[in-house]
Amino acid sequence: MSVTIGLLLALSFLVSLLALAFLIWAVTNRQLQLHQGQAYTVFTPGEAGTPDDATLPGDDAQSVGPHHYDAEREGIDAVSRRPVMILIGSGIAWLAIGSIFGLMASLKLHWPDWLTDVAPLTFGRVRTLHLNLVIYGWLSMTGIGVALWIAPRIFHTALRHPRLPVIGAVLWNIAVACGALAIASGWTDGEEWLEIPWQIDGLLALAGAFFVWPLLHTALRRNVDHIYVTGWYYLGALCWFPVLFFIANLPGIHSGVQEATVNWWFAHNVLGLWLTPLGVGAAYYFIPKIIGKPIYSYSLSLLGFWALALFYSQVGIHHLIGGPVPTWVVTLSIVHSVMMFVPVIAVAINQHVTVARNLWAFKASIPLRFVSLGALMYTLASFQGSIEALRAVNTVTHFTQYTVGHAHLGAYGFVSFVLFGAVYHMGPRLTGRQWPAPALIAVHFWLVVVGFAIYFFALTIGGVLQGLAMLDATRPFADSVTVLAPYLEARSVGGALMTLGHLIFAGHFVALLAQGRAPHATTAPTDTVPATQA
Amino acid sequence: MIRRKRTQAAPPDGPEETFEPYEEFRRIPLPVYWIAIALAIWGAVTLWDNAQAVGVGRQERAEQIEETPAAALNSGAQIFEARCSTCHQPNAVGVRSAIPPLAGSRFVAADPAVVVQILLHGIDGPIDVGGRTFDAHMPSFASVLSDAELARVATHVRQTWGGDRQEITAAFVRVQRARFAGRGAWRGGEELARVVDPALGPQPSAGPAVISAFADPAVLRLVNQGRGEAWACSSCHGAAGQGGANIPRLAGLPEGYIVKQLQDYVTGRRRNESMQTVAGALTDAERRGLARYYSGLRAPSTAKPELGGDVSRGEQLALYGDWSRNLPACFSCHGPSGFGVAPGFPSLAAQHPAYTASQLAAWVGGGRNNSDVQLMNEVARNLSDADRRAVADYLATLPPVPAVTQERR
Repeated sequence: MSVTIGLLLALSFLVSLLALAFLIWAVTNRQLQLHQGQAYTVFTPGEAGTPDDATLPGDDAQSVGPHHYDAEREGIDAVSRRPVMILIGSGIAWLAIGSIFGLMASLKLHWPDWLTDVAPLTFGRVRTLHLNLVIYGWLSMTGIGVALWIAPRIFHTALRHPRLPVIGAVLWNIAVACGALAIASGWTDGEEWLEIPWQIDGLLALAGAFFVWPLLHTALRRNVDHIYVTGWYYLGALCWFPVLFFIANLPGIHSGVQEATVNWWFAHNVLGLWLTPLGVGAAYYFIPKIIGKPIYSYSLSLLGFWALALFYSQVGIHHLIGGPVPTWVVTLSIVHSVMMFVPVIAVAINQHVTVARNLWAFKASIPLRFVSLGALMYTLASFQGSIEALRAVNTVTHFTQYTVGHAHLGAYGFVSFVLFGAVYHMGPRLTGRQWPAPALIAVHFWLVVVGFAIYFFALTIGGVLQGLAMLDATRPFADSVTVLAPYLEARSVGGALMTLGHLIFAGHFVALLAQGRAPHATTAPTDTVPATQA
Repeated sequence: MIRRKRTQAAPPDGPEETFEPYEEFRRIPLPVYWIAIALAIWGAVTLWDNAQAVGVGRQERAEQIEETPAAALNSGAQIFEARCSTCHQPNAVGVRSAIPPLAGSRFVAADPAVVVQILLHGIDGPIDVGGRTFDAHMPSFASVLSDAELARVATHVRQTWGGDRQEITAAFVRVQRARFAGRGAWRGGEELARVVDPALGPQPSAGPAVISAFADPAVLRLVNQGRGEAWACSSCHGAAGQGGANIPRLAGLPEGYIVKQLQDYVTGRRRNESMQTVAGALTDAERRGLARYYSGLRAPSTAKPELGGDVSRGEQLALYGDWSRNLPACFSCHGPSGFGVAPGFPSLAAQHPAYTASQLAAWVGGGRNNSDVQLMNEVARNLSDADRRAVADYLATLPPVPAVTQERR
């Protein structure tokens, strides 16, 4: 019987790989007829090859440049400006609040008696608040905001129904705030990543629909044949996440081991099929955009996207290694986790080669530095995650701070860094004003880079030591706690630097808004001609 | 809209001038194919191989569950060697003035019910064998051996040393088990002769029955109610001192050993936060009283193998040691059947495996450092993690130590 299961699994695995290969081959061949020139859809003719970075010093007289489609872009941006500003502004506000809760949780791990008298400020709630605020507040809202700004640009048409995302943003903010209050008061669904009570999740789902429909409608009405790779990721994320969110939050369907399985299926897919597409999509747009060069290879883009779509959905069960789940489910998850090397390598080549060949831009542009560093962290976090899923490694790292370090490498080092860069790039284009204090961007950059380096290495080293101490039966359990103490303190130092960086970022953003919009309001055509006709 | 572009200040190596679209049209690099194919092969093999491993694991598990019938294949002689010969000696001649002989014993030759009843309930009282009086402390095997195993070993004993060809069946043992279900040890030869078989002849009688031979009202208060930081012993160690999981069984441990442990908690040679608190709150007299109480307490075994250890390897270590790893037999110091040797060597039999294994680990890790001449530190260091679990699981299968009685002291 075991042979049957093994054969079935191995065969269906190989068949699905062949199907994937065939799909990519078929799409690639169709792509060949359309020319690699499709990679240039991010540029208007003549724009390719010019660094496009509003944070670079320069004066208005030199600002004209060979951008034939500036007016068109302006028209498109003008339509999506309001929802994008509201979403990004809300996201940054949640980031500031969420980071403070994160810092509190970190401090509580080595100051256990601090703030223990107030129930909402106990560790279990503060940590949960941090997680939910940064995931559903900062990363999701800012990510959707960036998507709403990029998507119309790559579709060469203005955002449809621009009022709906504004309503969605208001509802989403209310839902996140209600969720935070529920968690603070001790009312949760009791599953990691799904703590917000399902009654409030309904509001989040409703708010999500206000983002999905305008984006889908815009994609349907696009003025280009080909959808640039960023668009695939955004459209994929918009289809996957609602399904994940809905199924995982349906109350009373799963219980016991099934509930844990669904929980981790969801929790990991939030990273891989929601935050990753938001981050990778933005990086795919901003890296060539800021450098002024196309990305490396369309075939690799296809491989990266479709392999992610095939492999990622099974990855989450590696959190249940050693748990009372059928072994084949866990092994399938481990195999899929390791197979994630394929899409990650594809994305890595595409993005890093483009940056590596244009290191001058990396030095010159802090937004690009944020984005490409974030893309690099995606590569590292994914490789690390694949290796972490192996049973031999998982035995040591599971239930340790190492996992926390890994989670932050993905959600922070990768997605947050990309979003920082995106906001810095978009800010001047949204407001028509320069960042009031460009030096603060560098301060923010170095604070979070240094802070995160301390954070990551402290938790990684401490986590391994913790895991080894827990595995050694001859050492009392308390050893695994005391060995970790200095690393937890270092993590708080790193976390404090990161939080400081976020507060500067938030303050800078407020200062940017305080300047008001640029005096010369742009004309606002709601549609544009297809790029191919230009 | 203000667009600021560095169109004048060309980047150091000015790549935008050298931009060529054709160069950007690329196939997937060959190494990516190799990596993808290698990973695909690895994935398929892993999935297949894992299913094999699951099959093997299932089979092992099934064998483990079937262990009772498998053990039942042991002959009566093998059970005797493993369970009885350490005290009664392989040739059943016993030990002068300590362990009664089986060869030529009237108990062995009497009605088959006598041997079976002794095996089921043990003896705790004086018996007369061959004109000598023994202060008998025979453990109960009711929880350790199945009806079929008891039948085989009883048949072996009676056929070999009692001269009776008649075979005792498992059904007979079952009837005998039900006959006095729930009772404790036989209180000496007088009771056996009165209740089971008058043919045993005149036998010495035992004193009045008590739970522990040394119950004292003040000590009982400490045991059951505690006092301040000296928490009630029974709250963790159980009403009968039987312990559980990582909490040791105290019933039947040597008095001197318990006193020493309590003192070592105070001095810090043995570390455990709860016990250091409790031991520090006790007076010297109370420690002695508690030690006396528990050394005389009798409780059936509640321990069973639960660490997944290899019990036969554990038996090997306990009986013979493993000199290739410099490991002496446990029983060479802790006494036959692991019953302990007062005052220094605690009884190991029927101890909870989680506790035994954690103590062996603590000897290595320094959590426990109160062994004379570092004896246990040395032994524990030579045990692998698997061996610790194996020996702990084996010791849990042994019958509990027969408690000492007032008379014996």
